[in-house]
Amino acid sequence: MRILMVDNKDSFTRNLEHLIVAASGSVPVIVPYATFFPEMVHGYDVTVLSPGPGHPDDYPGYKGLFGPGRPVLGICLGLQIINVHFGGAVDRLQGCIHGRISRFTLFGKEIEAARYHSLYLSQVAADLDVLAEFQGIPMAAKHKRLPVLGLQFHPESFLTPQGEGIIRDALQMLLSG
Amino acid sequence: MTPYRCSCPVDGLSWLSVLAPQKPDVFLTPPMPGSSVSGMVGLWPVSEWRCGQDGGREGLKEYCFSTPGPALGFLSYHAGFSGLGLSLPEPDFPAGVFRKYGVVLSPGSGARTVHIFAQNATLALHAERLLRGKRCFHAEIPELVSPVRASLDREAFEQRVRSAVEHILAGNVYQLNLSIRFETERPAGLESMSLFTQLMEVHPATFYALYYDSPFTILSTSPERFIKVCQGRVLSQPIKGTRLARTPLLAEVRALRASNKEDAELSMIVDLIRNDVSPHCEYGSVGVEGHKSVFEVDGLLQMYSNVTGRLRPGSTALDLLWDALPPGSVTGCPKKRAVEIIAGLEPHHREAYCGCLVAVHGPGDLDSSVAIRTAVVDENRSIFSFHAGSGIVVDSDPYTEYEETLAKAAKFLALGRRKRQ
Repeated sequence: MRILMVDNKDSFTRNLEHLIVAASGSVPVIVPYATFFPEMVHGYDVTVLSPGPGHPDDYPGYKGLFGPGRPVLGICLGLQIINVHFGGAVDRLQGCIHGRISRFTLFGKEIEAARYHSLYLSQVAADLDVLAEFQGIPMAAKHKRLPVLGLQFHPESFLTPQGEGIIRDALQMLLSG
Repeated sequence: MTPYRCSCPVDGLSWLSVLAPQKPDVFLTPPMPGSSVSGMVGLWPVSEWRCGQDGGREGLKEYCFSTPGPALGFLSYHAGFSGLGLSLPEPDFPAGVFRKYGVVLSPGSGARTVHIFAQNATLALHAERLLRGKRCFHAEIPELVSPVRASLDREAFEQRVRSAVEHILAGNVYQLNLSIRFETERPAGLESMSLFTQLMEVHPATFYALYYDSPFTILSTSPERFIKVCQGRVLSQPIKGTRLARTPLLAEVRALRASNKEDAELSMIVDLIRNDVSPHCEYGSVGVEGHKSVFEVDGLLQMYSNVTGRLRPGSTALDLLWDALPPGSVTGCPKKRAVEIIAGLEPHHREAYCGCLVAVHGPGDLDSSVAIRTAVVDENRSIFSFHAGSGIVVDSDPYTEYEETLAKAAKFLALGRRKRQ
């Protein structure tokens, strides 16, 4: 599997790289957001958008990334970028949460998930289906027609014990259409 | 390092005092509960590498690994800016210096012997004579008579904490470390080695280091390991979570471990450190052990974890150390954005503070501390300075964070109060 990961100036990107290798057996190619352009994804099976600081509006470079046959997996900020791109809204989360665990159901399994987010999907884009939520806060969402999926929590955290399986399931879902 | 090695009987670490006129570079763990004496002392440098002249990481690797023998050095906080893609203003302070020595001294187990490693027999004999020489008693530590000036007073610090929390709420960072710089006139007669050895006796901590780089002398009394690599096994021990070590101690330890705020503070730095060692660790090898362990230092309980890994083939310990700069436990997360915000909030430079002190033994072997609880003597300006800081998270109370910062500065602030008490 050929995986391109765009690093949004984050400090968990290399954790995600190690997790992707464990889950897929493939070493992702990492490019910094500053040097990324959408045509770069040709030749890759999936593009991963890393977590990162700030609001999706700070990342205009992803315009043109999403389309048929372009599988995208977004983590934290990555999910928020997906949501805003498809018309949803991202705002401050009352009682924002960092470095703590929440328990909810994803892909039919009960999971413990590490959360680091000040912002959240305050309005989910009409084209996205929420796959998991915790106390009304979307924790995972997938596009209704395109191979685009995002996770609000951090599967790459040491506080997410099932992270490897979650990434494997997410990649399988994206690549199986 | 050479065939010229011998041992000299000693008692404890009193031998450091006879070395004072030689201005030795020191990286030592004094005898403490749970750890025996270890480390090394470099005498009579034979070569030196300075950051900025030799191409950063590659220059340092070439310097350390192209000739035999261990090296001692430091990298300042700003040595990591370029690796983060930042061109922030840098202080008028060296970014980093490493040296190799004619003689390296290493305390034996139980602090009853000193092992002498020398480049030639003459130097070995010279060192042995020094060690067998008359012990100096501690020079009196002169009182810090001038007022201690702080770069941020309580009101200004608390305002910065509120700004940091606003950055957290906006999603710019998860956590942010804020520091205060304290400085005062260097008192006449202050002798760095005497201050070093007296602090080591009164406030033992795992990573005592003394490094001379005229006109500066760095005096570090850090409890925190940054990166250790031993035969390719990687260990980092980030500290986050602080509580006064009051009695009953066990109840305070339980309270520290049970605190959601302190737990979250440590957890996010553990994830950050995992990230920072990962580029040079084998896939699947990075782990976390002893999460939320607690130890006591400087009258404070500190929580820490062990982040472990295996060095990747093709990477050296210095590659890993360099790319992990500056230490994540003293920046915040995500690191690049945190460092940018810190530069905007702190009205001072961090200089050596929040960099690291390092002992390099080989491509797969080094140890290093985070340069916290660290003071600098500037002979030219006749200034004695030190910094202290605190990790800010979304539920930080500005008043409490200021108090925590002062508690971390206490061992140096107390130098000015000793005689008045």
